[in-house]
Amino acid sequence: MILEVRLDMPAWKQAVAVACSILIGMFISAVILVACGVPPSQLVNEFASNVFDAQSLHAVLVQAAPLILVGIAASIGFRARFWNLGLEGQMVWGGIAATAVSIYHVGPEALRLPLMALFAMLAGMAWVAIPALLRLKFAVNEIISTLLLNYVATYCLYDLLYGSWKDSKDGFPHSSLYANAERLPDIGHGINAALPLALVLVVMVWWFAEFSRFGFYLKFIYANPAMGRLVGVPIIPVVWTAVLMSGALAGLGGFVVPSGIAGRLTQGFFEGYGFSGVLIAFLARNNAIAAAIVAALIAMLFVTGQSFQIFYQIPFSMVQMIQAIIVMCVAASEFFIRHRIRLQR
Amino acid sequence: MLLIMATGLKLGSITKSFGDFLALDAAHLSVEYGEVHALLGENGAGKSSLMNVAAGLYSPDAGSIAVAGVPCRFAGPRDSMQHGIGMIHQNYKLVKRFTVAENVLLANPRGNFRSGKATIEREIKEKANALGFSLDPARRVDRLSIAEQQRVEIIKALVAGARILILDEPTAVLTEGEAQRLLAMVRDIAEGGAAVILVTHKLRDVKAFAHRVTIMRGGKTLATVDPRQTTAEQLTTLMVGSHVVTPSRSAKSAGAVRLNVTGLASSTVEGHTPLLDATFSVRSGEIYGIAGVGGNGQTELAEALVGGRQPSAGAISIEEPGSPTAADITRATPRQRRDYGVASVPADRQWFGLATRLSIVDNFAIGFIHEGRFGSIALIDRTGMRRATQAAVNEFEVQGVRSLSQRAGTLSGGNAQKLILSRELSRAPSIIVAHSPTRGLDVRACAAVHARLVAARDAGAAVVLISEDLDEVLGIADRIGVMTRGRIVAEFDAPADRNAVGRAMVDHV
Amino acid sequence: MQDIVISWLANLPSLAVPYALASLGLIISERSGVLSLGAEGLMLVGALAGVAAYLSFGGHPLLALVAAMIAGAFVSILFAVLVVLLRVNQVIAGLSLVFFCQGLTNLIGTVANWSNRTVSGLHVLPLYPLSELPVVGRVLFTQDLIVYLTIPIFIAVTYFLNRTNAGLRLRAIGENPEAADAAGLNIYLYRFAAVIGGSALVGLAGGYLSVGSAKIWIAGMTSGRGWIAVALVIFARWHPWRALAGALLFGGIEALIPQVAAAGIRVPQYFMLMTPYLATLAVMVWQEVRGRIGSDEPAALGQPYVREERT
Repeated sequence: MILEVRLDMPAWKQAVAVACSILIGMFISAVILVACGVPPSQLVNEFASNVFDAQSLHAVLVQAAPLILVGIAASIGFRARFWNLGLEGQMVWGGIAATAVSIYHVGPEALRLPLMALFAMLAGMAWVAIPALLRLKFAVNEIISTLLLNYVATYCLYDLLYGSWKDSKDGFPHSSLYANAERLPDIGHGINAALPLALVLVVMVWWFAEFSRFGFYLKFIYANPAMGRLVGVPIIPVVWTAVLMSGALAGLGGFVVPSGIAGRLTQGFFEGYGFSGVLIAFLARNNAIAAAIVAALIAMLFVTGQSFQIFYQIPFSMVQMIQAIIVMCVAASEFFIRHRIRLQR
Repeated sequence: MLLIMATGLKLGSITKSFGDFLALDAAHLSVEYGEVHALLGENGAGKSSLMNVAAGLYSPDAGSIAVAGVPCRFAGPRDSMQHGIGMIHQNYKLVKRFTVAENVLLANPRGNFRSGKATIEREIKEKANALGFSLDPARRVDRLSIAEQQRVEIIKALVAGARILILDEPTAVLTEGEAQRLLAMVRDIAEGGAAVILVTHKLRDVKAFAHRVTIMRGGKTLATVDPRQTTAEQLTTLMVGSHVVTPSRSAKSAGAVRLNVTGLASSTVEGHTPLLDATFSVRSGEIYGIAGVGGNGQTELAEALVGGRQPSAGAISIEEPGSPTAADITRATPRQRRDYGVASVPADRQWFGLATRLSIVDNFAIGFIHEGRFGSIALIDRTGMRRATQAAVNEFEVQGVRSLSQRAGTLSGGNAQKLILSRELSRAPSIIVAHSPTRGLDVRACAAVHARLVAARDAGAAVVLISEDLDEVLGIADRIGVMTRGRIVAEFDAPADRNAVGRAMVDHV
Repeated sequence: MQDIVISWLANLPSLAVPYALASLGLIISERSGVLSLGAEGLMLVGALAGVAAYLSFGGHPLLALVAAMIAGAFVSILFAVLVVLLRVNQVIAGLSLVFFCQGLTNLIGTVANWSNRTVSGLHVLPLYPLSELPVVGRVLFTQDLIVYLTIPIFIAVTYFLNRTNAGLRLRAIGENPEAADAAGLNIYLYRFAAVIGGSALVGLAGGYLSVGSAKIWIAGMTSGRGWIAVALVIFARWHPWRALAGALLFGGIEALIPQVAAAGIRVPQYFMLMTPYLATLAVMVWQEVRGRIGSDEPAALGQPYVREERT
């Protein structure tokens, strides 16, 4: 058996291969779910209802906004060859910063929302700056450092929610409700302002990557940083810019979830977004617009997962499992895109 | 006296392609036991590919292999080894952290580990003594010199019982003295009854040591002749196929000193100092060629000059006309050096010269974008980039460009180098650092590259040409510095006496 | 005070074991050149399998641990196929494996009702009469079987790597797969074996965590220990004994947490829980400050091997 490298494959064929592998991944997931007791007819039902049922559709759109944000956050980091796996930790600190603005009544009420968003972004940037600095100064691999810092961030959150920020009214480990001025406004049909905000950011990030000089430099940093350096690419400023953007967007996601959905800071608001961001960026090949589309699909998965949790007691982490299966199938398909197998006697 | 036996190795009508690229086109080779058989050809002629087929690393699309008259087919390197073929590659297949004994043991298992190691150590010492040198099996390979590592490779093959030994460009990184010793050893091995194939492009080695020579070009076998009966010119014509014009030396004289390098040194983490104390100057309008055998600090010097590596001592400065003080660029970033007019043509062009996954346009435009030539920070000017790239591709005659958006990695070696030159030289640089600019290129591409460097010199640039190819340096340099053990040990003005330069290259060993 | 120290030391070994076994398993696969980031997931698989086997097959702790090893090895086949055969980027494959395992174990654990059920698990095995010695008796000779076996396992693996032909070949593949290929070795076979064998140990580490240490299965119970093991391997510069030292360090930190409260020192609970992660970061920084990690790294780590690619 001989392996031959294909010289290139037309883009449409590649897209078909990826789509097929996604379908295979979903099929495998379905098999596992059925094996765990979900009736097959219900599987299709629940998934289809995301698109056809109005209420589910709204839930999907609301869920899409933070997913878009972590998706483009991951993608801009990956473009700089920075494995930002600390999206959840950055979200946590974004949520904490935004909640702090609410609790300490920072600024006039009219400005409260923008201030929350701003501080959330700054907090996300600060939290990602730590592993970025560790990599720059001490060559510490950011895969491990960003992941470990997620755990640290989570414990900081618990310390606040079980401690000084615990809601005195009901004694549960979540913060008190935000004031009305601190919640993202509805723009109709139960969808909040997070979605248009996310879409605007998608366009901005897309522009940044495709049309700006920084984006051009990023192409080289991604493809061949050694050569880029020799040819004059200012690697360190460009990488820092991309990494800080990544942290800021994730931090913003940490504001959008509490302010847009629950209305307060809760224990597990960030769960599932970390790997989702990575998956979205991976499937979208780090392209911001494709990321928005993929994020919408993942939002459907999230909503389906939530209803499975309610109706069939299937834990929400099945969503993570399905995402992982899809990533593995798509990654495996790249092998078949790149190689042709020939049998030789 | 040669024993008459069946032909040692016979390769017949071997064809092999990699995708679109036809590496071997019905090539054939026939080698007898007891002879040193040279395989001669330019880079890219197919010599290494043909030998990789013999070694079982490539499987041929068509053709036959026969060892000692018996037809065989190799599923992998192990099969080839079992038929008595041992190949010593250009980049040695040695595990650096292992000892000599462990490396030999890896390829030649001898029972359990402990006893096997002892047995192997004995065999190594025996074989080494028989060939006239000593080798300590307990030494780690990364502590041996290149020539010593090569001997480990040979011993490894002999211990495996190789009767057919293939050496791929064995003298490329050796000094003249080491090369002579190696080739003499190789002749002894042949006289012991083995068949030795010497893959090389060095005519002198062929004429001095080979019994027969087969010439390859473009994946085909052209002829097999007796090197003692054939002149060097005839061999060259066979290798190259047509008359080659070397650029004539213009009578221009050089201007003021442009680049000053003083006492440049660079050390590695482990404490080695490949670059010890390099001192030289280059004037504008001259090509300063740095000759020397590879491994004497050339790579470190090239990197230090363009900013890829920080020197541990010494200084690099640029004198600008009209400015009283020289600019110290010893610790400048590559970007700052480019602002001063330094251009870099690196040796490893696929890795440091181009981003192979990006398009031709991108690879050209990156050289100019930060000066603001292609749009502002907020919006790059893609149309302008394409226009400028097309103009450069035309001017520098870069072939194989079906579309400017194609990946730069699809360009052949010569055209990739032309693209790099178009990017670097279009900036009218004042200083050019070219490191092995024609490595792996065919003769026509070589000539094109040389012509560009000479043209840049004529336009007033100070060119530093670092090359392990003595012919290249002697051909176009105006002044020659010989680099040995990290120092410039001698300087010559062109035209230089080849023997004098060669002596300077080895005298300081 | 002395009681606290003794108590701390007595608890240390069993908390160090998961780190030790997991990093040893990672060392085996990384020495063959395969970067294994899936440890966190494989440990979860081993942990669930251990409890599952314990609850389903009559409560034999050793059987449960063997099941954990088999489960870890089995799931790693998926990873090996992706990474060795299909040459998928090893970081993506490792990450996906972790999340796949997290989701899968949570799902199966819930559906099969193995979650949150305490098991009596592995018992302590005092070694009479040594366990009667003061201090040392409690710390060294009143532990469970796996703790006792840890050092022999380390000895066996070290012997394998450094004093056998198979170990030589494995290391060669991790340093210079081209040389190994030219020597006629089957790169794929060795890497597969290294990944699967190493993952059996990682699975055992997880099984010990649930059956031996915590004596329960809870979703996500490894809490990042797998990632710490990955960092430990770098810190240990891929040498088993240094990994053991690192494991003792982290076991010590974990064992310290309850003792601090017992000593009456008032530290906020969650900050104590953060210490293992912060300690890992500190260790990685210190490692770099001290000197190059890279020089001991298996030279071919993380790169898939291709023999004939010409593009």
